[in-house]
Amino acid sequence: MESFIQQLINGLSLGSVYALIAVGYSLVYSILLFSNFAHGGFLVTGGYICYYALISTGNNIWISGLLALCGAGLTAIITERLAYKPIRERTSVTLYLLIASMGMSIVIENFWVIMAGGRFRAIPPVLPTYPFKMGNLTISSFDLLVFGITILLLFGLEFFLQKTKWGLAIRAAAYDLRVAALMGVNVNKLISIVFFLAGLLAAVSGIFLSVRYTLYPQLGFITIKAFVAAVVGGLGSLRGAVLGSLILGTAEMLTAGFISSQLRDIVVFGLLVLTLLLRPTGLLGKAVSEKV
Amino acid sequence: MLFASLSGAQTVVKVGYLAALTGDWAAYGQTEVKAAQLAVEEINAAGILPGGLKIELVPYDFRSRQEDAVNAVRRMIEQDKVVAIVGSNSSGVNIAVAPLVNRAGIPQIGTVSTNPRVTVDENGKVRPYSFRICFTDPYQGKVLAYYAAKKLNLKKAAILYDVSSDYSQGLREFFIQNYKKYGGEIVADLAFRGGVDVDFRAQLTEIAKAKPNVIILPNMGKEMALIIKQAKELGIKDVVFMGGDGYADFMWDIAGDALEGSYWVNHVSPEDPALQPFFEKYKKKYNDECKEFVNGILGYDAMYLLADAIRRAGSANPKAIRDALENTKNLKLLHAVITIDPNTHDPLNKDAVILLCKGRKAIFHDRVRPEEQ
Repeated sequence: MESFIQQLINGLSLGSVYALIAVGYSLVYSILLFSNFAHGGFLVTGGYICYYALISTGNNIWISGLLALCGAGLTAIITERLAYKPIRERTSVTLYLLIASMGMSIVIENFWVIMAGGRFRAIPPVLPTYPFKMGNLTISSFDLLVFGITILLLFGLEFFLQKTKWGLAIRAAAYDLRVAALMGVNVNKLISIVFFLAGLLAAVSGIFLSVRYTLYPQLGFITIKAFVAAVVGGLGSLRGAVLGSLILGTAEMLTAGFISSQLRDIVVFGLLVLTLLLRPTGLLGKAVSEKV
Repeated sequence: MLFASLSGAQTVVKVGYLAALTGDWAAYGQTEVKAAQLAVEEINAAGILPGGLKIELVPYDFRSRQEDAVNAVRRMIEQDKVVAIVGSNSSGVNIAVAPLVNRAGIPQIGTVSTNPRVTVDENGKVRPYSFRICFTDPYQGKVLAYYAAKKLNLKKAAILYDVSSDYSQGLREFFIQNYKKYGGEIVADLAFRGGVDVDFRAQLTEIAKAKPNVIILPNMGKEMALIIKQAKELGIKDVVFMGGDGYADFMWDIAGDALEGSYWVNHVSPEDPALQPFFEKYKKKYNDECKEFVNGILGYDAMYLLADAIRRAGSANPKAIRDALENTKNLKLLHAVITIDPNTHDPLNKDAVILLCKGRKAIFHDRVRPEEQ
């Protein structure tokens, strides 16, 4: 039982990082109806900016974190302007956006290979990672931090979407981008804001992931799991993305702990296939056809 | 380099170098190519090769992936017409390209590829064109088992290995075989998938339940460092970590103080006085510490092993180089005296070094050749 609860804790901590990434996916998907595979690139960009800023500011996590968030947000905007906007203006087929995003993910990864080299880098120890005991259970202080910040950010995002003018515009655009444009919403600006927000969330997860797993150009690879989580939860639904992430994180840990770690990915992608068969829109997603 | 290749094809022989220059193992591969380049310049300047021949190194990136390695080797042989190939450091990669080099008749020297099947095929027959400069996994597994059970008296071991790596699986298998003979007991045996998995807390939680006194990590640097770091974050204490030759200095960046007190089997010790001239030259040329010292030294020495074979062969004919490599006897290299066993193409009787992590450094701790059970 104890080890079950321990695995549950491990799973929730993994799931909360997935959640940050998955929400970024869902945010972009809800507006443009395509999965932005360059998201992993934004994440790595956030990680590297934080790393270099920490080194040059003498480990000031506040400044470095802020720079990383803005840097990744800007990268996301630039990526959209360079690669997606021209396509978006020429065609309404989102498949091309998907393909462009795969290309951009490789471009960003290789940019960091060239700039920083392939070597593994460790973020200086600015975030607490020491364990503490509760009975026979061990919780890492870092897990609590990640969990806390994730919840905070997701509430912040929800607040932004529900209570602000631009949030309203985003929700309207998520319902129908063209009609929103007709109603006087500046679509290009709106899309930039959405990408900036997605980049911001990606940077936070990039910093967390670099602290936990070290920083290297291929770190963005982990977004594939978050993507699966977003699909399981329902692409386009932010709550669904969070739910899917927590389910996926715990499923992974329980499988690896109690069945076999070789089966870990089979379970993850099995869940994906099962979702697509039984409920293609995911747990909390709406059918795309409703939107058109 | 450029002038040498312009001055006429006859005086230049191309030697391929198979290395991971990007991807998970880039740190190892980049060091190897730099060290090999250093050796090539020395070999060319000293005129070691017969008839005024010069070596031109042709490095190829296999990105830690077997399919890329196969393509790279194919291009080396067909396009670049190399006379020999040095590298890679990966057993899996060398096993994957072995049929290719043996069919084409191009000798290949593995640097840190320790799996037996790199040089000997499934039927126990030696692969005629495959060689290596390092010791093998059966030997390394035995050293690990011997050192844990007999020297450190740690008799309850947990293993966390990489199912996707021939190196890891081999080392695990030979460790278990020998550990039992030395009176040890395996209390947990868990796996992960290298290159994909970065979270090992599920397995570590299970390992902690089995209460081992030693955790054996037959893996590569990044994963071992992450495992040790996450073990510490899960509050696992009073356990000794031991691993094979995947140790690298960058593990300190990842795992920090959690690494203190761990033991690693290795090919060479960075403190060996004989190696210091190499480290100085490397630093002078590249303005960089040779952090992945095993790769640096074995890559460097592998070039000298090859150059010696070409010298004795009297020509750069691949078949003649192969024959000369097979007959290498008492060749004094930087890190060891090498005699190649013609039956296995492995070096004979190399001592293993045990490194101990202490004071943020892996210091030389012991030199071992395990006793028979």
